[in-house]
Amino acid sequence: MRPILLQGHERSLTQIKFNADGDLLFSCSKDNVINVWYSHNGERLGTYEGTNGTVWTVDVDPESKYLISGAADNTLRLWSVRTGKNLYTWEFPTAVKRVAFNENGTRVVCITEQRMGHQCAIRVFQISHEGDGTKQSKEPLYMFNPIGSKATVCAFTLTPDVIITGHESGKVALFNVKSGEEIDNNERAHSDVVTDLQMSKDWTYCITSSKDKAARIHDTKNLMVIKTFTTETPLNSAALAPNRPYVLLGGGQEAMNVTTTSLRQGKFETRFWHKVFEEEIGRVKGHFGPINTIAVHPAGTSYASGGEDGFVRVHHFDDSYFKAKPYGDLEIID
Amino acid sequence: MPEATKQVDDGIDYADIENKYQVQYDDGFDNLVVVDGIPIIDKSKLDRLLTKITKEFNKRGVSVKQDDIFLPWDDASGKSKGYMFVEFKNENDANLALVNLDNYPFDARHTFRVNRFTDIERYADLDETYVEPELEEYTPREHLRAWLADPQGRDQYVTYRGDEVNIHWHGKPSQSEVAHKPDWKDFLYVAWSPSGTYIATLHRQGVRLWGGPSWKPQQRFAHPLVKLIDFSPCEQYLVTWSNEPIVVPEGAVQGPQYFSPDDEGNNLAVWDIKSGDLLRTFSTYNEGDPPSGKKQMQWPALKWSPDDKYVARITPGQMISVYELPSMYLEGKKSLKIEGVVDFEWCPLGEKDREETNAVNGVKTSKKAKENTLAYWTPEVQNQPARVTLLAFPSRAIMRQKNLFNVTECKLYWQNQGDFLCVKVDRHTKTKKSIFCNLEIFRMREKDCPVEVVELKDTVMDFSWEPKGERFAIVSSSDPNLGNPGPGVTIKTDVSFYQLDRSKNDFRLLRTLPSRTSNAIRWSPRGRHVVLATVGSSSKSELEFWDLDFNSDDRKEGATEWGSGIQLLGTADHYGVTDVEWDPSGRYLATSASAWTHTLENGYAIWDFRGQEIVKFIQDRFKQFIWRPRPPTLLSKEKQKQIRKNLREYSRAFDEEDAAEESNVSAELIALRKRLVDEWNAWRILRKKELGEE
Amino acid sequence: AERKALQLRRALVARRRELLSELSVRKEKEESSRRAEMSRKEKEEEARRLKEELRRKEQERTKKEIESIRIDEAKKYAQSLVDKGILKPNDVEKLESYDTENLITIQVQQLEKEKKEISEKLRVTAKRIDHLERAYRKEERPLLAEDYQN
Repeated sequence: MRPILLQGHERSLTQIKFNADGDLLFSCSKDNVINVWYSHNGERLGTYEGTNGTVWTVDVDPESKYLISGAADNTLRLWSVRTGKNLYTWEFPTAVKRVAFNENGTRVVCITEQRMGHQCAIRVFQISHEGDGTKQSKEPLYMFNPIGSKATVCAFTLTPDVIITGHESGKVALFNVKSGEEIDNNERAHSDVVTDLQMSKDWTYCITSSKDKAARIHDTKNLMVIKTFTTETPLNSAALAPNRPYVLLGGGQEAMNVTTTSLRQGKFETRFWHKVFEEEIGRVKGHFGPINTIAVHPAGTSYASGGEDGFVRVHHFDDSYFKAKPYGDLEIID
Repeated sequence: MPEATKQVDDGIDYADIENKYQVQYDDGFDNLVVVDGIPIIDKSKLDRLLTKITKEFNKRGVSVKQDDIFLPWDDASGKSKGYMFVEFKNENDANLALVNLDNYPFDARHTFRVNRFTDIERYADLDETYVEPELEEYTPREHLRAWLADPQGRDQYVTYRGDEVNIHWHGKPSQSEVAHKPDWKDFLYVAWSPSGTYIATLHRQGVRLWGGPSWKPQQRFAHPLVKLIDFSPCEQYLVTWSNEPIVVPEGAVQGPQYFSPDDEGNNLAVWDIKSGDLLRTFSTYNEGDPPSGKKQMQWPALKWSPDDKYVARITPGQMISVYELPSMYLEGKKSLKIEGVVDFEWCPLGEKDREETNAVNGVKTSKKAKENTLAYWTPEVQNQPARVTLLAFPSRAIMRQKNLFNVTECKLYWQNQGDFLCVKVDRHTKTKKSIFCNLEIFRMREKDCPVEVVELKDTVMDFSWEPKGERFAIVSSSDPNLGNPGPGVTIKTDVSFYQLDRSKNDFRLLRTLPSRTSNAIRWSPRGRHVVLATVGSSSKSELEFWDLDFNSDDRKEGATEWGSGIQLLGTADHYGVTDVEWDPSGRYLATSASAWTHTLENGYAIWDFRGQEIVKFIQDRFKQFIWRPRPPTLLSKEKQKQIRKNLREYSRAFDEEDAAEESNVSAELIALRKRLVDEWNAWRILRKKELGEE
Repeated sequence: AERKALQLRRALVARRRELLSELSVRKEKEESSRRAEMSRKEKEEEARRLKEELRRKEQERTKKEIESIRIDEAKKYAQSLVDKGILKPNDVEKLESYDTENLITIQVQQLEKEKKEISEKLRVTAKRIDHLERAYRKEERPLLAEDYQN
């Protein structure tokens, strides 16, 4: 499993995403740039430039046509994946912290930061696929302010107009975006900020990571906690490995909390846990700072991690990974 | 004594103790006292004894004539009964006797206990316990060492994390379980007594001891704001220390278990563990100390002789004061005045010594029990060279002295059997520019304690004897950063092993392991195995597991090559490790990263002696891990030898046990996993079905 | 006529002589040039041969040097193995040829073997230490009640 090191960012990574086919990997960073790479060899295909602040978040539609990004310059931008052209820009009073497409790429949900008297807001935009994509409606389809703790992460669910959110307080909730009503919540899903939320392949469950050092699998239907993975370090990201019963967790003590960070060089690890048995099965080290974001190839053949150190590391799983049956012959449904 | 009896009936509370100090004018016997602890004699010695007793009484300011004394006789044996009645002129004299002569050491074996005749009935119970403390054991008290009888022969350890204490059994995977989960609240930390009989918690109000199969409170010592404690080696006494001087508020409970106004201002207390009584208090602030001087206090502040008979305290530069137990009187009524004395250590008792003393105690032999030995050192003072002295105690006979030159600092290291003493001497060159090190090794078991010197060029940072062995290890360094600790600075060190060469009777280098960062040597309590660790470093946290007798099993060809038996068994890494401790059996090693030192990846791990990880728990706010110590084995040397001889048979049984255990564990684990997978799959199928229907 | 004939003969003889001498001169000339050519060729050949010889010698020398270095290296390596205790001194003598690669293989095998031996030995030691401790404790158990009695 020799990693490919993607060196194209000058500052820490904020989010990385594979497209649906898994041939492309999108990465965004505090250096204001979005990069796209060939996932199989790490060659850089292009950049999406124009943002004037940290790009916090990025997502790509199922057809790999549109890219959506949110940034600290208070913009939500729609890009053409192919040309790198900025097709449309929405502006808000505060930074955009999280974006996500729905299942068929017709809608986008975004979270804007709570700051300077502005409340945290969740907006849903209709994305027009007509023409060259430059004609988009300026106004959101829906908008509401979640009451209570601000939202940090979100995603569409299979139920129309229902999104799942993770919050600063550790809460995980379901919202009806039309009414802004909180349908269901688990106030104590985590005891600290929810840092990541990724959906399973069929969108029936999701995994969240938190600064409380744990990651959890939730049933998206009823928010029931199915599995818990407790580590010893604050987690920034959690991903599900398709076709294998593993989850990947990444994090690390933040630099400001650790005087010794530099001395644990290359010791920031992606942790592999068994999804069902809740046991750690291995670690992959390499980053020189905390791991901020992890993404797994949709076919489960490789994974990528983006670190505070500004590097993206792409690991292709070798045969032993697929053959390994560390826990016997039990058939585990994905 | 109608009144006295009534008070007994009232049950036990401290009122009766307070009554001790009450003066009862209407009682006709108040001028009568009972003195216990009188030597038992036959009639021929009566005169001499009475003369001596009256002399001693008068010396202490209590005037008494022989006629006032009545000594009861046991007609059957023709000997005295060991106590006497004294009638004083008046009650005041009686009180004086009570104050001045109670607990008075008459001679080495007899201590007076003085009680008012009117109290004696009240104290009947207490006194009986005193005279025959064994009696107490017969009462249905818990067997405080019951844990040793664990059928699986497991050891225990305590962990303290957050506000939670757990006492665990450590054994094979399925036998490792929680032994007890106490609900102790609001305490600083936990500590085991030296043989593991008690576990202590330090609370605001004082120390509590817990133990027995019930883990019930066994004793308490009311020393408010206690910060440090130290048990005596035989677990008979406890020393407590607080940085706050003792204050006895008005109306505070009084009694033998509490501080009295006399103790005010002191901050160090000695207690009797069985009775809970306060024996004596001291102040750790020496007279003449600069008031603001924040000199590091030495702990333990009191050093115990290995047999619990004496406890000694140093007044730096002046003297060592040795107190006898349990009276806590200054032995021989005077301190050891030693000009310049810096530090001292008692010689430990070896297994051999123990067996000998047991023999002396059991069977009356003519052989005298071995005296205790003290080692101390004095620095160079005005043309007087620095000097290490070995002193027998209580005879105070000097056994050996050695002069040393150009001494900066000495440290005394006793081998745990008392076979050797190493004095690590940091020496400076004449110009005082550089420091090097001499190890002066005294061979205690030989006549006149011959000394041999190992000279080293580097600074020796740590020294450690192999328990029960003839080897030692040192950590030395010539790193220029030595002595200038800074953040992220890890000192480069060399670790060297030395062994007694029996043919030449000197210590020779076995092997040096160069350019390491190890700064801690941890010998297995059984010797032979040793772990080198780098603790307290933010960048290095390596553990090296060494075996010093790896080839000893196949030492058939006669003499093996010097130092060839040293073998690295394994290496490991425990990030941020702060503590490294062997279990009492030398089979396992525990490492922990305590939140008291840093907050990164706190928790603990247990390894086997080869460095293979057995368990590792990373837990937030983890503070303490301590193995429960074990008392010395009850097996005789012969019995142990016999067991070693027949090990094959035992082994067969254990092999079977282990195999059964293993298959049991794996069966359980497989079942658990199967259940987990079934649950998961059931849920997945349900969701997938729903998905299909939509 | 006779005179004429004589004259003619004389003339013929002279002519013949002339021709002969001419021939011989030519022959001589030819011969000498042939000889000169031969000797030149010979010289050239000789030079070439010498050069060749030199080259060969040089080659041999380098080869020898390389070989000796190689053997030296192998010897050194073997010695290092002896120092490390992997090979015994008499093992080295037994080696047919000094070949570093060969030696490395031996070392690797030896190390593996050693590792196996050590781990086996450790397993036995571990069991022994564990069982001995448990045996002690087993035998100590009945004594504990007595200890309590005292």
